[in-house]
Amino acid sequence: MMDLLEACRMVAQVDVVVAILASAIYGLVVGSLPGLSATMATALLVPVTFWLSPIAAIATIITASAMAIFSGDIPGCLLRIPGTPASAAYTDEAYAMTRKGQAEMALGAGLWFSAIGGVVGTLSLVLMAPLLAEMALSFSTYEYFWLAFLGLMCATLVARSSPIKAIASMLLGLLVSCIGMENPAGTPRFTFGLTDLLGGIEPIPALVGVFAVSEVMRAMVTAEPPPLPRRKFGSILANQWMLTKKYQWPMWRGNIIGIIIGVLPGAGADMAAWVSYAMSKKFSKEPELFGTGHPEGLVEAGASNNASLASGWVPSLLFGIPGDTITAIAIGVLYMKGLNPGPTLFTERASSMYALYLIFIIANIIMIPLGIIMIRIASTVLRAPRAAVMPVILLLCAVGAFATGSNLFSVLLVGVFGILGFVMERNGYPVAALVLGIVMGTMVEQNFVTSLIKSDGDILPFFERPVSGVLAALTFGALLWPLGVWIWNRTRGRRLAAG
Amino acid sequence: MHLSDRVTGAVLVALGGAAAIVGSRLPAVPGQDVGPAAFPLVIGSGLVICGALIAFGVGRSFEVPEEEDAGPGPWRLGGLRALIPPALLAFYVYASEPLGFLLTGAIMVLVAAFALGARPRLAVPLAIVAPLLVHLAFYKLLRVPLPAGVLPAPW
Repeated sequence: MMDLLEACRMVAQVDVVVAILASAIYGLVVGSLPGLSATMATALLVPVTFWLSPIAAIATIITASAMAIFSGDIPGCLLRIPGTPASAAYTDEAYAMTRKGQAEMALGAGLWFSAIGGVVGTLSLVLMAPLLAEMALSFSTYEYFWLAFLGLMCATLVARSSPIKAIASMLLGLLVSCIGMENPAGTPRFTFGLTDLLGGIEPIPALVGVFAVSEVMRAMVTAEPPPLPRRKFGSILANQWMLTKKYQWPMWRGNIIGIIIGVLPGAGADMAAWVSYAMSKKFSKEPELFGTGHPEGLVEAGASNNASLASGWVPSLLFGIPGDTITAIAIGVLYMKGLNPGPTLFTERASSMYALYLIFIIANIIMIPLGIIMIRIASTVLRAPRAAVMPVILLLCAVGAFATGSNLFSVLLVGVFGILGFVMERNGYPVAALVLGIVMGTMVEQNFVTSLIKSDGDILPFFERPVSGVLAALTFGALLWPLGVWIWNRTRGRRLAAG
Repeated sequence: MHLSDRVTGAVLVALGGAAAIVGSRLPAVPGQDVGPAAFPLVIGSGLVICGALIAFGVGRSFEVPEEEDAGPGPWRLGGLRALIPPALLAFYVYASEPLGFLLTGAIMVLVAAFALGARPRLAVPLAIVAPLLVHLAFYKLLRVPLPAGVLPAPW
């Protein structure tokens, strides 16, 4: 109880309140601009968090990401261009509703069920994290190795591209993390004699390059999206209670799927939305209405992607293993602020954890009024010409990278990773897997090498402990899953051809 | 730039092979079998396998066919425009110290805005205002030591 009161006091600080409000507006605006994803919004915030108190820093990340995931629905609904990848799953459906003259209902559903998903996801975080923390206390390097590896494998499953290319991207990320002196012997590795590389490659320049600079590069070679027609909106929340009652069961299913996918290390909001939309269509009583502007899928997937956002913090806070690219950034911020992820965070820094929960709830509640305002001014915001937004983003990339270490080499790195991300994306290599590889590389290597040293080079102890055995089985399941799907498709194709 | 799977696969094989070979030559920790060489060796071998599979077209059936947004005609020369942002970042690295942040930032914004097809009426005011605002936020509020160069900020 004392902890809870302490947490309230922490959240009520002036700087935290200002941080929440400012990052909410920032998240809403950036998320609504097509091509600027929630991950990018968060990555560009990191240099700002350097100068904030720990709670305010985490509050900015939580609020901005939640708002950006919601407001990605706005251009999806009005222009058929998803603002963030997490909205892509149901963009066609929302746009179909707009064409039927139900834009208010589609946007309102995005907002209302995003908020519900966020709150339910937070409750799952509150309930699950302490339980899992007990368990995590007994984990050894073997379990951590498998968990990190499982996270990386999930990241490759999420990618809607060739699983082999996804694994290759992840390995490339791990290779990048090998650069520098932070290895078991402390010798310079792959530094090519450059002193700037001795410290290794920080995840932030890589993230900014891959997510933001590559987006500016893409803007250079693609046509500008059409401007939004001006329109007046009726009441946004009018029909939402009716929808909540009518689609109560899909809503809960969306929440639960989102929570489960969020907890899986490596799989995030994009995956949750895709899976939930597919589920909703499969189990709906009226599957033939999907794609024609039917709100059911919107309800389920809209709840799901925001629920996954909160539960994605479970593996991040407990094990330091990111649930998705946003929490990958958040982990960096946690370390920077002395809130090192791990099970002891819940016992020793309980008040900070309560503060984190509170921020989640507050962010999802203020999402409703701020979201309504955002929807109403969306046609003005979306009118901002790309030729004005992108140059400023580029300037922020340069300054942000410079600010993280006050060194110009990171600005160069941002450019290099921009090119890498651009080329990879154009050739079907998922960049999120690369980023997770870079973020988790050091941790995977440390646990891998320590485990090998402990076991004297023997592989068997990796599987002997019960939890590590289960995690190993899950990891290999994830690894072999694409193969199974491939064989299944093959045999089914033959049977169809034969029949 | 769109490359064939053969090319990207071959690049990955070469990169993985190089990483494994160079990595395996790293000095070991005395008295221990597992050292800094182990991880690059594993990763490099994995990359070689993946690269080979990609080059032979395994797993392509999973890919969502991507819609070509740029035609083949303007793509040849127009594709180079994509290199403008990284080039501007490189420009920032070398110019920000001597020229100062405000001037460098203004040039960056101006070039990027023109490359995106902005009219001077938009690009010029943007190039003046945006660096000033960014400087104000990062230098004054966040205390990032941005270089002053030849044109120091008024604050």
